Amino acid sequence: MEDRFEIVGIRKMPDVKLVKKEKWYQGKPVFFAILLGMILAVCLACELVMTKDPFYLDLQHCNVPPDGEFLFGTDTLGRDIFSMIWYGGRVSLFIGIVSAAVSTGIAIFVGAVSACAPAWADALLMRFTEIILSIPSLLLVLFLQAVFGENTVFSVSAAIGMTGWAAMAKVIRAEVIKLRKCEYVAASKCMGGSFLHILWEHFLPGFMPSIMFMAVMEIRSAILAESTLSFMGLGLPVEMVSWGSMLSLAEKAILTNDWWILFFPGIFLTVTLLCITRIGEYIRRKF
Amino acid sequence: MKDEILLDVQKLSHKFFPARKMEVKAVDEVSFQIRRGEIFGLVGESGSGKSTIAHCIMNIYQPSGGKIIFYTGNCQERRGFFNKKDMAVQEANSIDVCDPKEFRRHRRMLLAKRQIIFQDSSSSLNPRKKIREIIAEPMKIQHIAPVRGSLCAEAEYWLNQAGLDGSVLEQYPSELSGGQRQRVAIARALAMKPELLVADEPIASLDVSVQAQIMNLFLQLQKEHGFSFLFIAHDLLAVKFLCDRVGVLWRGKLVETAPSKELFENPCHPYTKTLAASIPVPHFRLRQEGDVW
Amino acid sequence: MVRYRLLDGVKKVFLFLFSIFLLSAAVFFISRLAPGDPLVSYYGERVERMGIQERVWAEEKLGLKDSVWVQYIRWLGNAIRGEFGISYKYKMDVIEVIKGRIGNTLLLGGVGFCLVFLLALLLGIFCAWHENRMPDRIVCTLGTITSCIPEFWLSLLFIFIFSTNLKWLPGSGAYAVGKADDWGSRMEHLILPLTVLVVSHIWYYAYMVRNRILEETGTDYVLLAKAKGLNKRQIMFHHCLRNAIPSYLSMAAASVPHVLGGTYIVETVFSYPGIGTLSYESARYKDYNLLMLLSILSGAFVILCNMAVQKGAERDGR
Repeated sequence: MEDRFEIVGIRKMPDVKLVKKEKWYQGKPVFFAILLGMILAVCLACELVMTKDPFYLDLQHCNVPPDGEFLFGTDTLGRDIFSMIWYGGRVSLFIGIVSAAVSTGIAIFVGAVSACAPAWADALLMRFTEIILSIPSLLLVLFLQAVFGENTVFSVSAAIGMTGWAAMAKVIRAEVIKLRKCEYVAASKCMGGSFLHILWEHFLPGFMPSIMFMAVMEIRSAILAESTLSFMGLGLPVEMVSWGSMLSLAEKAILTNDWWILFFPGIFLTVTLLCITRIGEYIRRKF
Repeated sequence: MKDEILLDVQKLSHKFFPARKMEVKAVDEVSFQIRRGEIFGLVGESGSGKSTIAHCIMNIYQPSGGKIIFYTGNCQERRGFFNKKDMAVQEANSIDVCDPKEFRRHRRMLLAKRQIIFQDSSSSLNPRKKIREIIAEPMKIQHIAPVRGSLCAEAEYWLNQAGLDGSVLEQYPSELSGGQRQRVAIARALAMKPELLVADEPIASLDVSVQAQIMNLFLQLQKEHGFSFLFIAHDLLAVKFLCDRVGVLWRGKLVETAPSKELFENPCHPYTKTLAASIPVPHFRLRQEGDVW
Repeated sequence: MVRYRLLDGVKKVFLFLFSIFLLSAAVFFISRLAPGDPLVSYYGERVERMGIQERVWAEEKLGLKDSVWVQYIRWLGNAIRGEFGISYKYKMDVIEVIKGRIGNTLLLGGVGFCLVFLLALLLGIFCAWHENRMPDRIVCTLGTITSCIPEFWLSLLFIFIFSTNLKWLPGSGAYAVGKADDWGSRMEHLILPLTVLVVSHIWYYAYMVRNRILEETGTDYVLLAKAKGLNKRQIMFHHCLRNAIPSYLSMAAASVPHVLGGTYIVETVFSYPGIGTLSYESARYKDYNLLMLLSILSGAFVILCNMAVQKGAERDGR
């Protein structure tokens, strides 16, 4: 009996090698996160690392190439570049984060209000957003700074923050219009939820994933904007140390062939931006 | 108590404008009353304006004509529930919900006393919130102090009322079945101790066996808590089983209102007749005896 | 249908004019609010030695005495007649000033734009072809790095390496002195700015092309094509690319302002006499009339591009 029939279902399966389990760090920008964390940590604790006072104009040691005393050399005003990098990094990163926070806040407000407002107000707000988008942001920042008066860290970050929200506001508006149709929003309204309550409890968790990436990228573009502005002499003045304002001396340094003045702030800027971009890309992939 | 009118809908109309120079009368001069402690059913085919009426009653839509009057009457037993500001509000006896001014004045009180259960439980519960947060949301909005200690305990109590146990508190809506989700929606509505519960096709998207469970739950809860219940459905058997009185909607018009038994035994309007005849009869022999088939 | 189209067109034009009007008002008021002395750009150093009377006279001459509202209405009236006033710095009609410079920017921006988008397309196809294999990975890594280098720093680096040290290429200006008509000299001066523009913008778009094509390769009709026995090249170019290109073109139009902004920065670093340098100067030195016209020009350009994108999106029936 047994040799004539074959039991079909219970066949011996060939041994399949278990697929190697993915390590926790695979597909994650661990290297860049650690690098950024290190830069951040050292910038925050720059008092411990700095070998010189970043503001001290050592006029006897102008344009000194990197050596044992001045690790990264000194700039045209005789300041120690190594110390300035860490101190300036703190300022640059601070401006990046603050302006990203400002623009995300404005974007959430404008986007959500515009999506929930009556049609005419929506049209007006969107037109306003488009105009903000169409003015070259450089000019806009310039104007805003003029309104704020003196250039300080806060005024620069406020100015950059107030120009960078338009694209994000458009995305938020589209997302909120999608979310607004959900019945749980209607239910919340029936229970007496105010606009702010619904925004906080229902809209914000809904559009947060799509905003996260943009918010991180906003930090990046704010740091970039600050350095570009300061380089052009429109942002922070030379006396206030940031990566951008350090580079504003670079144009003169080119003529005298002092590569270190140009090189070090730029490389730190680039590496930081690269880390932020990588982390941002990971966030976009994940959500 | 039983004959006291709670909700008086008078000549309610609502128009939609799907395109320019096009007008659709979704609801056309509909009048009916709901008494205290009564289960009122609204039936009609899809597109006959049932949901629109529910949305008008809940102030989701602003109706284009008519009145919806909400009688607050004596709600003394809820004294501990509202703060002093609301006590003044309760002195008003009848509120026209359709009047924006009047609605705004009594908004808080109205929003607590009327609750709605939507058809699709998967979209009426925020997929990103835990069940605990979903049930606690109305209490948080209305700043109601939890009688049972914490918001969490309150949520569990109402979940038990709706026939679920506390184990689902920390779960997300997507982890529950359709029937369980609808129970959560019911618990959320009940937690406000409403006087009027509007259910907009609450059982339409459920399996038949679950439908029966939910209907039994409704009956039991209604007996226990004594709220008035507006039950909207297109399933005639459910309406027959559940409701004290039934209104039949046909193309935006209310063609007939009658106590449920009477309506199905002795329908007046031709549309109601076809409706009543279309109720599936469970047994073959019974079907033969019926004269319609 | 025709009538509807016409109505829509009129509406669009009206919307465009309205946007320009709002833009001009915004720029006008903000620039007037900003502190700073426009007289400096007109009279230069002499301002400091001016007496009060002279100052008043000078302000009257430039029409700066009245309230901002009056100034704006006067400006608007003149602008409608096509008069945009004179530049304080160049003492010329602003239109003339811009006319002299706009060609340079169009050359740099136009060639740069075309190069960026052509090369990005090629690079994107290259990456998609070698999906997730060595060449793709190398290009992806390099691309991410180049896209993170600040444009102005890259420009400085290029000037430092190729101009100051190696002395291969000129690092500033649009042409050698006295050789304005010599195309060879112009080309020579374009190479570095163009390279910066391409390097810093290309990856953003190439990456999009790559992902778009890879998205297409996952669809069922590509599977069908494979089943029919088409080879990889035919599938890539006849099917995937064909579907990816329309969205790429609309994205190209949408990103005009992005590249334009980049051109402005590059121009400033290379002291290239174009619109970018001009806007920077005019904003810095309060050359009001020039600033107004420049902002409106670039704003109008961007708004037009956005409208074109919208129109394209409407046309694309899918």
